[in-house]
Amino acid sequence: MRMLLLLLSLLVTPLAWGQATGPLIDALATDDYAAKEQALTALTETGDPAIVPALKALEGGQLYRRLTDDKVVIGRENGDNISLTDPLSGDTLGSVPAGDLELIRVNNRLRRAIGASLGALTLRSPDAAVRRTAAEAVFVNRDAAALPLLEAALAEEQDAKVKRSLQQARAAILLADANLGTEEKLSSIATIADKGGQAALALLNPLTGSTEPAVAKAATEAVRLIDNKLAWAAAAQNIIYGMSLGSVLLLAAIGLAVTFGVMGVINMAHGEMVMLGAYTTYVVQDLIRAHAPGLFDWSLLIALPLAFIVAGGVGILIERGIIRFLYGRPLETLLATWGLSLVLQQAVRSLFGPTNMEVGNPDWMAGAFQVGEVTITYGRMWIFLFGLIVFAALMLLLRRTPLGLQMRAVTQNRSMARAMGIRTARVDALTFGLGSGIAGLAGVALSQIDNVSPNLGQGYIIDSFMIVIFGGVGNLWGTLVGALSLGIVNKLLEPLAGAVLGKILVLVGIILFIQARPRGLFALKGRAIEH
Amino acid sequence: MQGGILLPRLDRAGLAFGAVALGLAILIPVLNLLVSTDSPFHVPPHVVALMGKYLCYALLALSVDLVWGYCGILSLGHGAFFALGGYAMGMYLMRQIGPRGMYGHPTLPDFMVFLNWPELPWYWLGFDQFWFAALMVLLVPGLLAGLLGWLAFRSRVTGVYLSIITQAMTFALLLAFFRNDMGFGGNNGLTDFKDILGASIQADGTRSALFAASAIALALGFILCRWIVRSKLGRVLIAIRDAESRTRFLGYRVEQYKLLVFVTSACMAGVAGALYVPQVGIINPGEFSPANSIEAVIWVAVGGRGTLIGSVIGAVLVNFGKTLLTNALPEVWLFALGGLFIAVTLFLPRGIVGLWTGYWTRRREKQAASITTQPVTEGQ
Amino acid sequence: MSTRPDPQHTQLYLDGVSVSFDGFRALNNLSLIIMPGEMRAIIGPNGAGKTTMMDLITGKTRPDKGTILFDGDTDLTQMDEAGIATLGIGRKFQKPTVFESHTVWDNLDLALAGKRGPFASLFHRDGADDDRILSILDTIRLSARRHVLAGSLSHGQKQWLEIGMLLAQEPKLLLVDEPVAGMTDAETAETARLLREIAQTRSVVVVEHDMTFVRDLDVKVTVLHEGSVLSDGSLDHVSADPRVIEVYLGR
Repeated sequence: MRMLLLLLSLLVTPLAWGQATGPLIDALATDDYAAKEQALTALTETGDPAIVPALKALEGGQLYRRLTDDKVVIGRENGDNISLTDPLSGDTLGSVPAGDLELIRVNNRLRRAIGASLGALTLRSPDAAVRRTAAEAVFVNRDAAALPLLEAALAEEQDAKVKRSLQQARAAILLADANLGTEEKLSSIATIADKGGQAALALLNPLTGSTEPAVAKAATEAVRLIDNKLAWAAAAQNIIYGMSLGSVLLLAAIGLAVTFGVMGVINMAHGEMVMLGAYTTYVVQDLIRAHAPGLFDWSLLIALPLAFIVAGGVGILIERGIIRFLYGRPLETLLATWGLSLVLQQAVRSLFGPTNMEVGNPDWMAGAFQVGEVTITYGRMWIFLFGLIVFAALMLLLRRTPLGLQMRAVTQNRSMARAMGIRTARVDALTFGLGSGIAGLAGVALSQIDNVSPNLGQGYIIDSFMIVIFGGVGNLWGTLVGALSLGIVNKLLEPLAGAVLGKILVLVGIILFIQARPRGLFALKGRAIEH
Repeated sequence: MQGGILLPRLDRAGLAFGAVALGLAILIPVLNLLVSTDSPFHVPPHVVALMGKYLCYALLALSVDLVWGYCGILSLGHGAFFALGGYAMGMYLMRQIGPRGMYGHPTLPDFMVFLNWPELPWYWLGFDQFWFAALMVLLVPGLLAGLLGWLAFRSRVTGVYLSIITQAMTFALLLAFFRNDMGFGGNNGLTDFKDILGASIQADGTRSALFAASAIALALGFILCRWIVRSKLGRVLIAIRDAESRTRFLGYRVEQYKLLVFVTSACMAGVAGALYVPQVGIINPGEFSPANSIEAVIWVAVGGRGTLIGSVIGAVLVNFGKTLLTNALPEVWLFALGGLFIAVTLFLPRGIVGLWTGYWTRRREKQAASITTQPVTEGQ
Repeated sequence: MSTRPDPQHTQLYLDGVSVSFDGFRALNNLSLIIMPGEMRAIIGPNGAGKTTMMDLITGKTRPDKGTILFDGDTDLTQMDEAGIATLGIGRKFQKPTVFESHTVWDNLDLALAGKRGPFASLFHRDGADDDRILSILDTIRLSARRHVLAGSLSHGQKQWLEIGMLLAQEPKLLLVDEPVAGMTDAETAETARLLREIAQTRSVVVVEHDMTFVRDLDVKVTVLHEGSVLSDGSLDHVSADPRVIEVYLGR
C-alpha cells in the first residue's frame, strides 16, 4: 500500500512542477468565486512552493489584476501609488497608481481554501518547524486535495516528529473519506488517537456512531483515552494556576501571619499596608519614568526596600500610636484598626485620586512560556518564587536571628521576657513593623497583577484572615499550606462552579472547617492554649 | 433577686422609651400631614423618610448591642441579616408591581424578563402575600443565624474568630447576591417599587405610616431587649460574656443561650431591614458589604455598648452626622468615620451613655456601701 | 497498683486514665478513687497533671483512654461540662473566677441549683430562693457586701464567693484548685475551716501546694508525679516516702 502511494506521489510531483504555473495564477483574476476556487485547486495541485507568496498576498488582500494587461501581480501600498512585484519570480515591476489595478477579492470560503493550500504547499519547507505547522494546518482543514502533496512530503520526510504530524494529517484526510476500508479506518483512528487534543476529539467523535462495530468500538476507546489525557492536562493547568493564586494569597497573608498569628493583633488595616506597598511602586515608577527611564526594568527591585520601609514605618506608627493601648482587647483592636483602614484609604484617595494607577510591567515580567499543555506567564512565575522567598526569609528571621528569638520570647511569655531584659515595647513595635513591611512587599508584587487603587487592600483582608485561621494561628507553615491549598481548591472549583460561586464555596468551606477544627489545620493543643 | 426596689425603676426605663417612640410615631406624621407646608413646624416628606431610616438603623444597632453588649459576641455580619430582611420585603414589593413593570409582564419582575427567565423561580413563590413576606423577614435571617450559630457556638468558636467568620458570611452573601443567576436582580438589586399593602409607596401618608411603623418596631424591640436583659437569662448572658467557662462549670449550656440570643437578634435585624427597604426604595447587594456591618458596630460603641439605649443614641447620632457631612464635605466623611472608630475605642470605651452612667454608678456605690452596713431586711 | 475495688459504691472512680498533648503525656495511667463524703488532698510538683486531672473530670478535656465514673455508674467521658456540673460536680478554678460585673448576690443566684435552660431562665421568677442565698452569704461571710459588684471584692473574698457559688450549686463532689493561693494566714486558716465544714455533707478533692494548709485539712493525701499516683496515705506517711522526697527535692 505504502509503496503504491510513494510511487504515485513520485509520479505526480515532477509532473506538476513541470507545468507552467503563470497562466494558472492569472486564472485567479475572475469575478466568479467558483472559478477562483478551481484556479486555486489547480495551483495547489502543482505543489510548486513558488506560488506561496501569491497565495499569501491573495489571503492578505494584496493580489491585484493589472488592468492594462490582465496580469496578476502582488501590490504593496507605497504612498499614493502601489509598487508591484511578480507573483512567481518576485521581480519588481515598478509602481502604478491605484486606479490601474483591480483587487482580487476573496470570501470566507475561499479564505479557508487558501489556508488549506498554504498548509499543503509549505509541507516541503526547509524549516522543520514550518513543515510541522503546515502538517497541523492540513490536519485541521482535512482538505482532500492536499493528500497527494502530503504523501509526497511524507515519503521524503526525515524528521521523526514532522513525520508523525504528517501521518496524523494523512489519517485525518483519509478518515473523511466514507469509502475507506475498515482496516485503514482502524489504523487511522489509532494514529489520530495518538495525537490527542480537542482537534482529534472532533474527528473521532462522529465515528463513535459508525455502522461498523469495530470502527465504532475503536473510536469510542480512542475518545475515552483522549478525554482522559485532556482531563489530566486541565487538572495540571488548574493546579498550576491555583499555585499561582495561592502564592498571591500567601504574599497577602504572610504579613498577617506575623501580626495576627505571632502577636495576636487583629489588624484590619493589613490590606491597606499592601495598598501602600503598591502605591510606593507606583511612585517609584513615576519618578523613574520622569528622571531615569533606563532604570525602568529595575523599578520593582528599587521599590521593594522602599515599600518595606514605607509600610513597615506606618506599621510601627500604628503600633505605637494605637495598638499598644489595646493589647488584650482584641475586639477593640479590630474596630480601631478598621477605622484606621478607612482613614488610610481616604488619605490615599485624596492624595492620588480614586482611579486606578498605571503600574507597568518590566520586560522580565512580561511574556510567557509553555510547559507541556500549560502556559505560564513570567509575571506569575516571579510572584510565585517571590512568595516563597519572602516566606523563607521570614522563617530564617524568626528562627535564626536575635530579633526573631526576642519576638518569640515576648509572644510566649511577656513578663518573663521583660524580666530577662528584653525591651518588650521595642520588640512589639518591630514585630508589627515587620508584619506590615512584609505586607508592603506583597503590595509591590500585587501591583503587577491587580488594579492599584485605594481599595486594593480590601479585596485581600478577608482572604488573608481566612488563610491564617485555616492554617492555624501562630503556625507559619500552616499559612503556607493554607494559602497554596486554598488557591488550588479555588481554581479547581472554578471550572465546575464558576469564579464567583467557587469563591463563595471556598468561603463557606472554610467557615465549616473552622467549626470542625477551631484552631486550624496545624493547631497546637493542650490546656495552656485556652488563655 | 432584690428586685423589689429595682423592678419598677427598670420598667420605667422601658416604658419611657416606649412612650417617647410612640409619641414620635404620632407627632412626626401629624407634623408632616396635618401641619401646613408654610408652617415652621412642618416636617417635609424627605425628612420623614430620613428619620424613618435612622430608626431602622437604631433597631439594627439595638440587635447588635444585644449580642455584643450583653453576650460578648461581636458580630460583623449583622448587616447580612438586615439585608436579608430587606430582600424579603423587596421581593414582596416587586411582586406588587405586577404588570406595571417596564416590560409589562404579569408576574415576572423586569430583571427576570430581561434575563429571559421563563417563570418565577420557586423561592419567589408566596412573596405576593404580605403575611408570607413578613414571615420570611423573620425566618430567613433567623434560620441563617441559627445555622451559623449552631455550628459556631457548638464548636466554641469565640472572640475574633467568630467575628471574622460572621464577616466572611456576609462577604460570601455579598458575592452571591451580585450574581444575576441568583434571581435577586444582580448588582442592581430590587427597586422601582410601586405599592405596599395597596398604598402607593411614594405617597406622603404611606411614608408617615412607615415612619410610625419603624418607631413602633423600635419600641417593641427595645422592650423585648429590656425584658431579655433584665430576666435571669440576661444575667446568664452577662455571665457568659465575662467568664464563659465559669458559666459552663455552673451547669449552663452556654451554646444554647448564645444561639437563642443570636437568633433573636438576627430576627430584629431582619425586621429593621424590612422596614428600611420601602423607605429608601431600593435594596441591592451593597447592603451585604462587610463595611456596613462593622459600621453598625461602631454606632453601638459610640452610644455605649451593653446599655441598649446607647445603641439607639449612637445609631441616630452617627447617621445624623453622616447625613450632614456627606452633604457638606463628602471627602471628609470617611476620615471622620475612621477617626470615630479609633477615638471611641481608645478614649471612650463605654460610649456616651457609659460616660453618663459611670458618674451615677460611682455615686450609687458610695450610697450602697453605706446602706449595706445596716441590718439586712429580707424579701426585698 | 493493688486490685481495684468495685466502682459501685464510689463517688468518683478513675481507672487507667491517660491523656497526651502533642506527644507530652500529661496523665499516664492515672487511677484514683474518692468515696462518698471523703475529702482528699492532692499534691504534686508543677506539671504533675493536677489541673489536667480536674479538666478531665469536669469534661473540659477528653481522655485518650481510661474510665472515669461518677456515683459508680455514670460515664463522665461522654458528657460536656454543663452536663457534668448538673450531675453534681462543682469546680473552683485556680484563679478566682467570679462574674465581676454582677453583684455578689447575683453571682450566688446564678449558681443556685435549678433549671439551666435558656427558656427557664427567661421566665424565671426572682425572689423564690432568697433564704438560701442569705444563708450562703452568711457561711462565706459576705452578707455585708452582697450588693457590691463582685469585681470590687478583695482577692480572698473572691475566693470565698467562688466557694459560695459552689455551695449554691449543691454538688455531691467538689473539686477545689489551690483555694488559698494568695491568701493571708488568717484567711487560709478560715478557708480550711470552711472546707472541712463543707466536706461534712459531700466529697471534696483539694489540689494544693501549701503544706501548712494541707496539714490543717488533716485528710488523706495523694501525691501525683508525671501524670500518675506516686504515693498516698496520711501527710506524715507520704512525707516519709523516699520517692516523694526524691521528687520534691531532686528537682
